[in-house]
Amino acid sequence: MHQQAQLRLKKDEVEKLGADVYVVLAMDLHRTRVFKEENRLLSTFKGPFSREKSLVYATALSDPAGYASALYGVARKCLRWGAWVENQPHWIVIDRKGTITFMLEPRFDTPTAYEKDVDQVLEALKKAALR
Amino acid sequence: MTRLILILTGLALLPSAGWAQPTSPLEKYRKLRFPARDENFAKGWQERVALEYEIINAADLRALRNALKDADPFVRAMAARALGIRGDRDSADTLAELVSGDKEYSVRLRAVESLGYLRMKPEAIQRAIKDRNPGVSWVAKLAADQLKSETDHARQLREAYATPIKREAMGTAKVGQPAPDFTALTCDGKPFKLSTVLGKKPIAIYFAAYDG
Repeated sequence: MHQQAQLRLKKDEVEKLGADVYVVLAMDLHRTRVFKEENRLLSTFKGPFSREKSLVYATALSDPAGYASALYGVARKCLRWGAWVENQPHWIVIDRKGTITFMLEPRFDTPTAYEKDVDQVLEALKKAALR
Repeated sequence: MTRLILILTGLALLPSAGWAQPTSPLEKYRKLRFPARDENFAKGWQERVALEYEIINAADLRALRNALKDADPFVRAMAARALGIRGDRDSADTLAELVSGDKEYSVRLRAVESLGYLRMKPEAIQRAIKDRNPGVSWVAKLAADQLKSETDHARQLREAYATPIKREAMGTAKVGQPAPDFTALTCDGKPFKLSTVLGKKPIAIYFAAYDG
């Protein structure tokens, strides 16, 4: 959610590039709608994103059986740190020819790592827009 | 006598010669080389994905119901998920018992998720909202929403699982390669096919975990 919250702060830059952004959830449609439309998760913590109603700017897609996730190699269906995880989060950038030009697996190793992740995605999108 | 010994030896060897009963998908899940434990997070995910498809699409219903009482919590959790998606209303009582009493969080989570898919046992779902584990409580709140919904989420899941994924196609997305096509659902429930936008504009896709 932090990645999506950060990305919407860069909405203007994304639109200037004429790019589309999608967020894929290996979850049913109801969970995907809640993810897109309601800030139920971060609103429960104190933080920069806690007071906003919706944090997701990207087009949300429900991938209920995890098909796309498996195709892109991000499915895990496993416990991690004691919690059930369907997907290991990943960013993918695709250029105007339909070729994958960038893949990033966020590390979440610092409290603000998402800022650098989103900056890297924007850089990759800029390059992809030129190709 | 010699002939009898030969026949008996032959019968004993038949299973190893490929004549054994095929292993059920639940049994294969129980015997996974890399079960869904923390230490296997990056390993063996292809097999876990493939078996989840197989169990949801084809596991025997009675075997799934029996598996709700299995000693292995991963098998119980998988059976709970599959029964919810299969729309098996006969398993609702046992699922409600698991929601209240199973010691493993992942089993309680899958069981309450499935009660949401079945749109049954509102009292068990309400109890799960107060579960000591925040993940179970979170999923229970979503299941409570689904009780009120007109949408048949289980059917949507069945339709999604009905498109099989080939093992060799898993993990084929690589930098420098064409982006593999897929179909997903937009928030208004319409199908979205990636290929309809590929090759027209730059695209970023974020595969999210719920909190990522």
